[in-house]
Amino acid sequence: MMRHTKNKAIAAGLLLLPVFGFAQEAGSAPDHTSYFSNALFNALLVLIIALLIVIIALGQTLRNIAGSDYLIDKAKEKDEKNKHQDTIRNAGLMLLLFSGLSMEAQNAQASADSWRIGGLDMLTFYSMIAFIVLEVILIIILYRLITGFIKPELRASVQASKPKEKTIFEKLNASVDIEKEHDIILDHDYDGIRELDNDLPPWWKYGFYLTITIAVIYLINFHITGTGDLQTEEYRKAIAQAKADVAEYMKNAANNVDETNVKQLEGADIESGKELFIANCAACHGKAGQGSVGPNLTDAYWLHGGSLADIFKTVKYGWVDKGMKSWKEDLSPMQIAQISSFIRTLAGTNPPDGKSPQGDLYQENAAPADSLALTKDTLAVKADSLK
Amino acid sequence: MELQKFQYDNKIVKWFAYATMFWGVVGMIAGLLAALQLAIPALNMELPYTTFGRVRPIHTNAVIFAFVGNGIFMGVYYSLQRLLKTRMFSDLLSKVHFYGWQLIIVLAAISLALGKTTGKEYAELEWPIDILITIVWVVFGWNMFGTIIRRRERHLYVAIWFYIATFVTVAMLHIVNSIEIPVSFWKSYSWYAGVQDALVQWWYGHNAVAFFLTTPYLGLMYYFLPKAANRPVYSYRLSIIHFWSLIFIYIWAGPHHLLYTAVPDWAQSLGVVFSLMLIAPSWGGMINGLLTLRGAWDKVREEVVLKFMVVAVTAYGMATFEGPMLSLKNVSAIAHYTDWIVAHVHVGALGWNGFLTFGILYWLIPKLFRTELYSKKLANMHFWIGTLGIVLYAIPMYWSGIMQSLMWKEFTPEGQLKWQFMDTVTKMIPFYITRAIGGTLYLTGAVIMVYNIVKTIKAGSFLANENAEAPALEKVYNTHGKEHWHRWIERKPVQMMIVSLVVVAIGGIIEFVPTFLVKSNIPTIASVKPYTPLELHGRDIYVREGCYTCHSQMIRPFRSETARYGEYSKAGEFVYDHPFQWGSKRTGPDLARLGGKYPDSWHYNHMLDPTSMSPGSIMPPYPWLFDDQIDVSSTVAKIKAMKRLGVPYPENYEHVAAADMEKQAKLITESLGKDGISILPDREVVALIAYLQRLGTDIKHEAKKDTLK
Repeated sequence: MMRHTKNKAIAAGLLLLPVFGFAQEAGSAPDHTSYFSNALFNALLVLIIALLIVIIALGQTLRNIAGSDYLIDKAKEKDEKNKHQDTIRNAGLMLLLFSGLSMEAQNAQASADSWRIGGLDMLTFYSMIAFIVLEVILIIILYRLITGFIKPELRASVQASKPKEKTIFEKLNASVDIEKEHDIILDHDYDGIRELDNDLPPWWKYGFYLTITIAVIYLINFHITGTGDLQTEEYRKAIAQAKADVAEYMKNAANNVDETNVKQLEGADIESGKELFIANCAACHGKAGQGSVGPNLTDAYWLHGGSLADIFKTVKYGWVDKGMKSWKEDLSPMQIAQISSFIRTLAGTNPPDGKSPQGDLYQENAAPADSLALTKDTLAVKADSLK
Repeated sequence: MELQKFQYDNKIVKWFAYATMFWGVVGMIAGLLAALQLAIPALNMELPYTTFGRVRPIHTNAVIFAFVGNGIFMGVYYSLQRLLKTRMFSDLLSKVHFYGWQLIIVLAAISLALGKTTGKEYAELEWPIDILITIVWVVFGWNMFGTIIRRRERHLYVAIWFYIATFVTVAMLHIVNSIEIPVSFWKSYSWYAGVQDALVQWWYGHNAVAFFLTTPYLGLMYYFLPKAANRPVYSYRLSIIHFWSLIFIYIWAGPHHLLYTAVPDWAQSLGVVFSLMLIAPSWGGMINGLLTLRGAWDKVREEVVLKFMVVAVTAYGMATFEGPMLSLKNVSAIAHYTDWIVAHVHVGALGWNGFLTFGILYWLIPKLFRTELYSKKLANMHFWIGTLGIVLYAIPMYWSGIMQSLMWKEFTPEGQLKWQFMDTVTKMIPFYITRAIGGTLYLTGAVIMVYNIVKTIKAGSFLANENAEAPALEKVYNTHGKEHWHRWIERKPVQMMIVSLVVVAIGGIIEFVPTFLVKSNIPTIASVKPYTPLELHGRDIYVREGCYTCHSQMIRPFRSETARYGEYSKAGEFVYDHPFQWGSKRTGPDLARLGGKYPDSWHYNHMLDPTSMSPGSIMPPYPWLFDDQIDVSSTVAKIKAMKRLGVPYPENYEHVAAADMEKQAKLITESLGKDGISILPDREVVALIAYLQRLGTDIKHEAKKDTLK
């Protein structure tokens, strides 16, 4: 017995080792590729662990059966048992080997930018799937072994030798013993179907009463005493709370920008602005800002003003009747500042397929020298396109 | 007492069994296609008939009414004769019932593919088919009651109580929910509008689950499970209590599909509490089923029929516990509009209905053909593949549903929504793929079963008329001493039917009457006006293409929803919506306030190729809307029908509607022209744009005023 337990502990440890090692590796990685932020990975991991638990439970069952008195005197079956245990051990070892190997392979591959499924690279995905398949196969083998051991005659002898004590489940249900069933059988006979007259299971009956009680309290709470908040009130409170939370946060936040104090950003912020632009604006304004559904953002003509503050305002509040939505619920003030700053850098880039100008010519007044040059440039472009 | 000789009609049972298997496989294939389309949009094939919005109703109707429907009739026709010791009342009625039902299914499949739909979930079929359903359902009831009247068994067994309740309730649900004003032979408008339509529809929708997928199957369980296990039913008293409480309480629970919507608060609360009280009555069926197997668990290990039944009853227990939990408002706030609901119904459909049907087929076919099942091994294989299929279907959908909902609700500390809607869509793809794998496994299992059963049939010889004998009923019934009070109604089928009808009618009446009569339930909003003729046409296109299968039009009063979509929806906004289009799933974003959000040209490009405007979108393209012309010949009839429903168009408006329509269409083509797009003003896409640009705009200004206050 001792030997078995020890073996199993080692085996379990071995099985989990690669997982932990792998987890560490992934966790320490500085970039965004942490596997634990990937839902699919987590899902598969949970499945793997759940199946492992099933395997361990089945293994336990098998050992109990194999170690039970009924088999000890049956030398032949005992031989068989040993053989089976070997099989299991071998299968387990193979599994270990495989898992270790696959994890190794994964690490080597992790950085490679291969084809991905749900954010997981192919190798990780398929090795995890393969692992699951192996686990399933092992479960099937174990299951078949167990059912093979429990031959019907054996089961009968097991049952016969059991003391007739009510199980917890039977006590809970207040069932009449199967042996005494003839006392409560009704004289009903429908095409051979008989009916017993067991009591309602008490837990069921009182559970029913409980739900009825809760129902009554619920209705009183919301509709008679009015102590519970109905949905409109609940909404009002949630909004007020959210406003307070945001205000509190913004007090200390660095990115408290609005149209009155927004400044032209540079460097990395322009890059972020570009990314945000591609993701959110390009569908209507074109990837280069040349305009399609929405107006051209590279020329000197603006429908709602071309200053940084104007652009910031347009993005923030939108011009809903003209088809420009308000982005203030989707983007933070800082992000809007980044986008607006990026848009300002587009002036005069003159991308191909530019949409013809809309709105009024915008001229920067009291602008610093270099941005004045930019405006001149744009004007030159404009003059070109007018020729 | 003299024994009378008679014969059971097995032929009708056989036909229904064949139909069950055939439509089961067809319905599952449609489901698999729909599942794959969500992962691989190219599978929509750019054809109207194969686009998700039409495939999904075909799938749901096929599995509910064709697969489970035929399954019900198969089981009822087999068990009813034997439980009553008589042949079916009329072979002719049986035949009419069978062919009538199959005709309905074929018509349904064709008309749904052609886009003939009422736009109400699980009640999509248009009015001529609705009438046909009513007729065939009456034929079924007539045949059943004829059989019951001619019975040789004094008392009705619990299975038959369930059959009777099913018959009367489905009749009531179908008729009340299908009241509609025909516009043409294949087009009608729901009699109800907005909130009322929603309430009636989900009273129907929820109880279609209750009285089409649950009560008849409980009846079947009460016959086939004790038969297969050869054990007495656990508790007669439990049968009585859970039967009556189940049918009484179930009816009330409909509004739990509409929590946090514009439905009045009191109706929502009724939906919540009755759903909660439904746990015990539902579980009564599960307990009585599982405990009937007491002392037969060794058989369950050997008998594949019992294995299927045990999983079925367990799935039933899980789904009926989960249902009430989903009906709690705080859980619904997370689960509604997500894949969680899809997972929930599939545990019921694949587990409970599917597995019970399979179990019955494996038990029944060898009996009808007087032989052994061709291969127990294959049947076992089916069991395991099917179970694995259910697991692989349900788990990813639970996961994706919860994940998506949490993403929708997440804010940054600055107070902005953390995720664009599209971010949450692209995260769903791997889950959709895994779900499709689960579905494929389940379908594979069903195909294996068909093969196994065909082989069994080939090996056996069919017994069309099975000899039986029983004594006739005596004219006068003497009770033998003291009997249970419930025995009385078990002898009185007509009273049984009437009492059932009364019991199931109460909940609906109490929920509907105030919603229809009391004005304060739907406060009117002065700025809400009827649709223009062009918008009305656009709306009909929206309904036809099944947009509601993926888009809701109901913004709930949550910060995360008003931030994303705009002011939450008010009851008064929907008073001209025949039918309502609130939807039940957000595979795509809510559209209730879509109007004015994007320019016309955005919509134009988006309908032609959704990914051009929303990179990563899984919405199918709708190229035919750019070729097909708006059906102007129906404008007059549509306006007239709307007027009959009480929509306040000016007098004789139907005669000037065409001119108004042209004007509006021209405005849209001009605005498209400015963005360099040229399209004729008579194309369907123009009407659709008109409708989409109207959505939710009626109260936009008022909402603004409100927030300024």
